[in-house]
Amino acid sequence: MPNILVFAEGRGAELRKVALEAVTAGRALADALGGGEVHALVAGPPGIGGKVGPLGQHGADVVIVCEHAGFATYAREAIAATLAERAKGGYRAVVLPFSSQGRDLGPRVAVRLDAPLAADVIELAAAGDVITVKHPGYANKVIITLEVKGSPAVLSVRPSAFTPKENAKAGKVETIAPAADPGAERVKVIEVIEGAKGKLDLGEAPVIIAGGRGLKGPEHFKLIEDLAAAFGNAAVGATRAVTDEGWRPHSDQIGQTGRQVSPTLYVAVGISGAIQHLAGMRTSKTIVAINKDPEAPIFKVADYGIVGDVFEVVPALTTAIQEAKKGH
Amino acid sequence: MSIENVVFLFVLIVAAGFFALNVQRLVRYMRLGKAEHRVDRSFHRIWNVLRVGIAQTRILREPVAGAMHAMIFWGFMVLTAGTIEFLIAGVFPGFSYERLLPTTLYHGYELSQDGFAVLVLGAIGFAYFRRLVLRPRRLDGDNIEHLDAYLILGMIGSLMLTYLLAGGFLSVARPGSLEYTRFASLGIGGALQGMDPDAAWVGYRVNWWAHALLVLGFLNYLPYSKHLHVASSLFNVFFSNTSWKGEFAAMRPMDLEADAEKFGAADVEDLTWKNLLDGYSCTECGRCTAVCPANITGKPLSPRKIVVNARMRLMEKGPLVTGDRMEFLRPMLVHGEGAAAGTRTAEQALENRLLDNYISEEELWACTSCRACVQECPVSIDQLDIINEMKRFLVLSESRFPEEVQPTFESLERNGSPWAFNRADRAQWAAGMNIPTMADLHAKGERPDVLFWVGCMGSFDDRAKKITVAFARILQAAGVRFAILGQEEHCHGDPARRLGNEYLYQMLAKDTIETLNRYDVLTVVTSCPHCFHQMGNEFPQLGGNYEVIHHSTYIERLLQENLVPLQTDEGRRLTVAYHDSCYLGRYNDVYDAPRETLRRALPVVNLVEPPRTKDRGLCCGAGGGRMFMEERTGKRINAERVEELLATGADAIAVACPFCMTMMNDGAKARNASVEVLDIAEVVADRLQSSRSH
Amino acid sequence: MKIAVCIKRTPDSESRFKIAATGSGIDEAGLKFDMDDFASYAVEVGLQLNEKQGPGEVTVFAVGPDAVQETLRKAMSMGADKAVHLKSDAPVFDGIAVARALATELKAAAFDLVLFGKYAFDTSGGIVGTATAELLGVPCVTAASKIEIAGGKGTARRELEGAGEMVEFALPAVVTIDEGIARPRYPSLKNIMAAKKKPLETKPAQLGEVRVSVKKMELPPDRPPGRVIGNGAAAVPELVKLLQTEAKVL
Repeated sequence: MPNILVFAEGRGAELRKVALEAVTAGRALADALGGGEVHALVAGPPGIGGKVGPLGQHGADVVIVCEHAGFATYAREAIAATLAERAKGGYRAVVLPFSSQGRDLGPRVAVRLDAPLAADVIELAAAGDVITVKHPGYANKVIITLEVKGSPAVLSVRPSAFTPKENAKAGKVETIAPAADPGAERVKVIEVIEGAKGKLDLGEAPVIIAGGRGLKGPEHFKLIEDLAAAFGNAAVGATRAVTDEGWRPHSDQIGQTGRQVSPTLYVAVGISGAIQHLAGMRTSKTIVAINKDPEAPIFKVADYGIVGDVFEVVPALTTAIQEAKKGH
Repeated sequence: MSIENVVFLFVLIVAAGFFALNVQRLVRYMRLGKAEHRVDRSFHRIWNVLRVGIAQTRILREPVAGAMHAMIFWGFMVLTAGTIEFLIAGVFPGFSYERLLPTTLYHGYELSQDGFAVLVLGAIGFAYFRRLVLRPRRLDGDNIEHLDAYLILGMIGSLMLTYLLAGGFLSVARPGSLEYTRFASLGIGGALQGMDPDAAWVGYRVNWWAHALLVLGFLNYLPYSKHLHVASSLFNVFFSNTSWKGEFAAMRPMDLEADAEKFGAADVEDLTWKNLLDGYSCTECGRCTAVCPANITGKPLSPRKIVVNARMRLMEKGPLVTGDRMEFLRPMLVHGEGAAAGTRTAEQALENRLLDNYISEEELWACTSCRACVQECPVSIDQLDIINEMKRFLVLSESRFPEEVQPTFESLERNGSPWAFNRADRAQWAAGMNIPTMADLHAKGERPDVLFWVGCMGSFDDRAKKITVAFARILQAAGVRFAILGQEEHCHGDPARRLGNEYLYQMLAKDTIETLNRYDVLTVVTSCPHCFHQMGNEFPQLGGNYEVIHHSTYIERLLQENLVPLQTDEGRRLTVAYHDSCYLGRYNDVYDAPRETLRRALPVVNLVEPPRTKDRGLCCGAGGGRMFMEERTGKRINAERVEELLATGADAIAVACPFCMTMMNDGAKARNASVEVLDIAEVVADRLQSSRSH
Repeated sequence: MKIAVCIKRTPDSESRFKIAATGSGIDEAGLKFDMDDFASYAVEVGLQLNEKQGPGEVTVFAVGPDAVQETLRKAMSMGADKAVHLKSDAPVFDGIAVARALATELKAAAFDLVLFGKYAFDTSGGIVGTATAELLGVPCVTAASKIEIAGGKGTARRELEGAGEMVEFALPAVVTIDEGIARPRYPSLKNIMAAKKKPLETKPAQLGEVRVSVKKMELPPDRPPGRVIGNGAAAVPELVKLLQTEAKVL
């Protein structure tokens, strides 16, 4: 029965949420192919081996741990070599997250394996020995169904497209050494510039509060931050108009050319709903819009809309959410 | 002939020769410019010379200063006859028109000479008073050299004085030699009574020679002064196209197929000889700058400076390029220009150019192309032509333009509209109105009477869409068989052309013409003056010939023919200030149709005019592509205009242009003013019988 | 420095798309095509680096049908010196195959730097650049938001999720370019005219075996229509209730 190799991404000595999503996707693919094993490969600095429990809980039969001090930063060539080397051992498919790392690794691994690669996948299916995937192209305006021929096939899955599903398997730990020396990287990381400490990443947050031009100035983003704090598990995002003006950092930008997000709840504050912005968030499960212009296009995609002055509505909502959360 | 005559003849020949050499030199410089055909429509041109030149119509737009100048000018023309007589008499003593004219005519002639000498002297006195005491604003700024003006006035004044004094002294030295018709001279003679006749004769000869030297000296001062305009301005008026509207107010056609080194104008040899003649004819009066909306609101643009700079640069480059050996008399005399030019080396001077070293980018982009400067110029200079050619150079040759303009160009190219609206949304305003498209009718083998060209503002801008709907309702109520292009419509490229991007413009315009020709369109009506001007007046340059009517004219026609069923009651008692659109007014002479429309729609309307109205109207600030640019310097032009309109006490501002609509709305909002801004179509549509439900 | 930039011709990203009658492609009727946005940033970066580094050359490459030559000319009107058109009439969704065609061409000429856009908006896989680097055997930096080259070495900044990474690498290398790095210059008419005379070579694209192909294309399902639940702060209690009971996200 065909086995699936999954790249369980971490950053530093921590696993990332996308690792669990990838395992879930790998598990789904294995089942579609008739049930095989899911092996999750983790590359990280010493100590990451102790954090791999959740991988087994979400469906990994085997967890391959590759620890090396050189993995404290992203050693792209060594990880690609290690992943490809392992994949040569008869896997049907290699699944990675379509994250910053995964986008970088996928093509390297595919070329090393002389394997086909389908990226940014939101749905997986298999019939016989043909793997079929769905991938949103043309700025999320067209869903493309692709057939991937050949084994192994390399697939990268879109963050938040596969909700981590508990499915406890053995998670038996295997230790391997890197297939290439992380010290010999031709692309050397000289500095990692962390975002604000404790700031939830847009790709991982279940709730996103996003602000647009309607906030009139960078100082008013405090309202957004307060609302996010009230939720407790929310990240703050922004539209391109706002990041272009310099009110928020470029990394906060949600949209066609920024981050594409799919949280459980997306609250759009003072955002008109230009097509470019919608392309970045229209797959969110629930969308709430607050805007003073009743004709704003955002109201056409929002599940719930409030027409009003954001400077009145948002503080009221913050208080209400605080109250609601207190009850929990 | 006495020795004196011989000496005078010699002086005359030297002076005339020197002047001729200078004229030749100036013509040589002028011919550094590009060739251009300007002798078509000769009768109309001569008529312009008579009207603008001789009759001083433009000068008289300012009543007081105008009368002053007209007096000096008409005086100059009349006195020239006397000057000729005077100069001939200097060579052939005793020559006089008396021998050639019947007595009464000769007396009339003498009266005219003395009379105008007095009038001119009076005008000169007033001119000094005006410059020194009243100090009108437009006579300052742009590094204007007042010394030049004082010298000119002084010389004219001295000419009059020496003429009268000579006459006065003569009447004492040879009593009875002057007829009563030389009343002023006789008057001065009266004050000199009792003087020794021989001394008086000396006085007469001294003043005679002073007058002669002044005439010949003044003549040779012309090439070094702004007073050159007396030689060049009538020619300039003859060769100008600025008095005509419509097609003649179009931007220059441009052949992009030609294997040109440069596109547009960066230096004087890229301008035409006519632009350079404009430079010679500028009197630095500043009327253009005084009406320039950019200058009024504190931008660095001054139309006068543009023209003066062109001349300055020509005077700097001309000698260097033509190997002029008269450099020893380069214009160092009165203008700071010469002095500044004098401190540069020849190499530096040749490296420099009109663009950047004289005229900055910022000045050029500040222009709204409102044509007020062109309208006011008393010698028919076309300041806008130079500005437009330099903008073309910036964009086509060097890709230099304000950065916010790049998305406009890119959107026009990709999207057929200067804004990033989806082309599929173009006809959304027409939902539920049952308006056929040209394609619909064409498929059925039918043709409408008129194509309603909506334009990008009217298709996509929320406020302008209401104007579109209003006009469509009027057409439907009047039973006009019309159609729209719907999604087949895209920008005709006018914004690109105004912004200097002739290449992008021609692409879009040619495609539009192809579409119109495919449907055999004959008549187009549009609610946007920019579309109106572009399609009606500039399309012919690319082979598109259609009858294009602005909606104000069209609605007025419909109302006149009683084709629009209007409500019969009085309607709202409104005080309305109508804001003239530049592209309707100064470009196409459409001033009355919108006002008539308002009066017919609202019988009791109180139409008030702001101080700057009709062909003196202040621009809203959006023309010349400025709609697509940020306004970063000085006061907002639309604020200036809205203030003026509000000061009339009007309840509502009426417009006939979607750009003006946006500007007036924004301006009113910025001042928290509760004034309504309405398009004339909306006013009429509101009065349709089918609007009864109001 | 010899710089290569690989570009792609894509439909205007603002368009509304319809599915073609075949069901396995988009309906191209009425669509405007142009250089893909990220590719145009890569061209701009390539031109700027070339200007800074002194005498050098920028060559642009593209895989596609004949229409792609228009896009190559646009790159040359921005300032690229030469263009190579690798002809492939059918659209290719197999990024590895496209990388093969490019790597074959690039290997022949020794480029110091090969630039790509981070991804192309239509296929949006971000595969081709990195795969090409791997095939060429050179270091690869993806999603660079800043880049500097000096003395045969480069430094770049990469945007990660919520963090940034500064990297150093030696040339020759492949870099894929993120947005925000440079605004693509607007070509002057003069440059557009000059581009017509610059060399453009056409050869068949050697894609090799294409293993990823389109089976079907469809438009995403419309979201069920939402509703405006009220005006102003007064609507907040209702919203909270709906989020708790209906949407069940609180």
